[in-house]
Amino acid sequence: MPRNDEVEQMLNSLSMKSRDDLFSEIPTKFRKSVLRLPRSKSEFEVIETAKSIAKTNQWDQYKNFLGMGFYDRVIPSSVDSIISRSEFLTSYTPYQPEVSQGMLQSLFEYQSVMSDLMHMDFSNSSMYDGYSSLGEAVRMAFRENERPRVLIPDNMINTKLQVIESYTEGLNLKFERYKISRDTGEIDLENLKGLVDGNTSAIIVENPNSYGVLDRNVTRVSEIKKDSVLIAYVDPISLGLVKPPGDYGADIAVAEGQQMGIHMNYGGPYLGIFTFRKELVRKSPGRIIGETTDANGKRAFVMTLQTREQHIRRQKATSNICTNQALMALASLTYLSLLGASGLRKVAAVTMEKSRKFTDNIKKVISKDAVPFTGVHFSDVIVKINKSEKDLNAALIKNRIIGGIPLSRLIPDLSDQLKGNYAFSFTEKTPDADIDLLSSILGGI
Amino acid sequence: MSYRQAVYDEPYIRDYHSGSTYRIPGTVDMDHLGIPEELRRENLNLPDVAEYDVVRHFTRLSEMNYGVDLGMYPLGSCTMKFNPKYADQIASISQFSDSHPLLPDDMVQGNLKVVYELQEALKILSDMDAVTVQPMAGAQGEFTGMLITRKYFEFRNEPQRKEIIIPDSAHGTNPASAAMAGFEVVEIPSSDEGTVDLDALKAAVSEKTAAFMITNPNTLGIFETHIEEIAKIIHGVGALLYYDGANFNAIVGKTSPGLMGFDIVHFNLHKTFATPHGGGGPGSGPVAVTSKLKDFLPVPVVRYDGGRYYLDYSLPHSIGKVVSTIGSFGVLLRAWAYINYNGADGLDENSTVAVLNTNYLRSKVEGKYFIPYRKLKKHEFVISTQNTDKRALDVAKFLLDYGMHPPTIYFPLMVKESMMIEPTESVGKSDLDRYADLLLKALDVPDSELKDLPKNTAVTRIDEVKAARDLKLRW
Repeated sequence: MPRNDEVEQMLNSLSMKSRDDLFSEIPTKFRKSVLRLPRSKSEFEVIETAKSIAKTNQWDQYKNFLGMGFYDRVIPSSVDSIISRSEFLTSYTPYQPEVSQGMLQSLFEYQSVMSDLMHMDFSNSSMYDGYSSLGEAVRMAFRENERPRVLIPDNMINTKLQVIESYTEGLNLKFERYKISRDTGEIDLENLKGLVDGNTSAIIVENPNSYGVLDRNVTRVSEIKKDSVLIAYVDPISLGLVKPPGDYGADIAVAEGQQMGIHMNYGGPYLGIFTFRKELVRKSPGRIIGETTDANGKRAFVMTLQTREQHIRRQKATSNICTNQALMALASLTYLSLLGASGLRKVAAVTMEKSRKFTDNIKKVISKDAVPFTGVHFSDVIVKINKSEKDLNAALIKNRIIGGIPLSRLIPDLSDQLKGNYAFSFTEKTPDADIDLLSSILGGI
Repeated sequence: MSYRQAVYDEPYIRDYHSGSTYRIPGTVDMDHLGIPEELRRENLNLPDVAEYDVVRHFTRLSEMNYGVDLGMYPLGSCTMKFNPKYADQIASISQFSDSHPLLPDDMVQGNLKVVYELQEALKILSDMDAVTVQPMAGAQGEFTGMLITRKYFEFRNEPQRKEIIIPDSAHGTNPASAAMAGFEVVEIPSSDEGTVDLDALKAAVSEKTAAFMITNPNTLGIFETHIEEIAKIIHGVGALLYYDGANFNAIVGKTSPGLMGFDIVHFNLHKTFATPHGGGGPGSGPVAVTSKLKDFLPVPVVRYDGGRYYLDYSLPHSIGKVVSTIGSFGVLLRAWAYINYNGADGLDENSTVAVLNTNYLRSKVEGKYFIPYRKLKKHEFVISTQNTDKRALDVAKFLLDYGMHPPTIYFPLMVKESMMIEPTESVGKSDLDRYADLLLKALDVPDSELKDLPKNTAVTRIDEVKAARDLKLRW
């Protein structure tokens, strides 16, 4: 900011008498008379205020069993350290590649690692979050075949469907639900097969699905999908152990990347992972980084395929993406680089152990039927508890526990059948003692 | 001041084979996990690198990246102002940053208070009636605004309103967002003054018009003085007026979209409100509307009943949701901090200085570069090399060699060989003088030399054609 004497000097050089002259063309009737906000403060005061507001959050005095797509996982210190580097943090979209090689190479590596993790051909350089990625995936499928029907699992979380519907509002698509078995918690393949026809644009499969179950049948959907587009929504941590979507014929595979080195932040910033078959690359949304060379033949990176994008193609662009989540992409890349295959496998394995411990406990302290699905659970476990949400919550809160999201709230269309089912979630951070405590409380109510 | 960016022949991260050293807590019997046979993963290729090598790799890469903490970054319409560090510190308080998005309202009163206060501040700054903070980018804010428009006219039983009118000077996201929401885009040319051509607008509007999307000041940095008449034309045919807030930094505290008659506004918190843009994201694009549209906002919105903050999902005509959560809370928190720190006086002063800096820099290069349209600019101005024998691209690469980020180039499309310059309030006079000197100096450098620039950067001029032709998108 110029010093006061410089401001005068600058105004003089513009032949202006006062600062107001800078805004002289704004019609007087539209000038804002007063800005009804408090006056400026020192940073000390602002930080103190923020700290005192933060203290009114109560959750940190409770044991937390919330999940359903967003998880409290170990975040290596080095991840926060790297994404706090101000060269990364305070840079814009790399429009000038010669001074932006750091972010561009990072994003190229991100695309490579995500392609490998999902076992897909290509990845873009990030989207806003998992749900909006799914919305963009359905749009991309429509660009490919222009058909009206989209098949979705009948247990898809309502918020997810709401986001997809927003993203496809202009396309007049018809969403139809195929069955997830109430016994195994897996896709009813016969039912799905009967629904696929020549008007089917896309089939969305989830693994693990909204019951938290690792679904064996996702591997068989490609056999019955005919020529529709198979879209997979997966848990990226599970891919440490579980077959990746590229291995079961997914055309587009998307995920929420928050679990990989990104704080939960009460809702964001998060990371939409977006990967696809190479034939679809020109129909894909979002920024993509390519490798090339500089004038001296040295390896270099640059944003490429920009003719798909809004700043060039305008209303004919494949998407309106301009801002993405580059920094969060860097966080997940750093996370995966630190953990490696063995680390990721272990995170997934410990998570499954915790879920299994809870499942075993519940079968003992309540009954065998209290875990309604026979399929294997990953992070989220559904438990049938014959109590109202209010009574369950009262018992849990009394014991300083948060958890037990009623499934009927997440999936309202199925609310009658799912009444009395609650979701509890586990990660590698969940102490065994907490699992025992939770189980015994649930057994006692 | 000379400049030299770090140069490393940095390999891919996967080419370090030092072996992962990071420890995950817990013990587990990997042979008895109970993964169903059909789902067992055969092969997983990930980098296998020691922590110290990971940190060195990315630290070296960071040294090959230019950020606003290194110097002037006057990308037009991007508002690359200083990102205050108190905001980062606040955003890293664990009680905020580690809270789960599905926590019950009573457990996160602090988070909700922050969001509520931000909603209120945005209402005051824009003179609008209701706000959603859900959109995770400016473009997503636009898209949200378009969905609101669509739903509003469905509700009013005016399904014939299928057209969105957009001036040719608009950001590319405007037509893209309108098209995504299922609208047809009608582009109108600008007048000889670089502003909305009122006759063209009158000719374009009809009972099919759903909305007119503009930014004011526009991408040329020119304030649309006919905004009252524009609003009359649009409202006269029953359509809505949409404000693209990418250029809001020009007018904070001076005027507002509400006063000018706009119905829908999006903000770019990563521009006007100084949140760091992280190499392309995250951003945040809250949307404000007038009272007749408040029930169409995405859910939830944060409310306060005098004693308690809570999420309200009960908006009768809500468009639903555009992302999984209430929005990018970590970004909202930083914007909240920026508003609190600057206050009414600071926010007003920032806009004043942003406009002063723009006009000062404009006056320094005027005459040498062609500057179309009215002299008095707001937050940004557009120059062109069309009166010189230089190309905008070459001038941009010249600036890189001096450690100054070039302006946005080849946008807006309506000006040939354009460079869109937005210095913001976060630079002093000496930096502006230096930037002007360099812009002028570039004109004296022979083309043969310019073509070889930049030389002081991590790599020399990049072959973008090869990138598109060879399409190497992964290792």
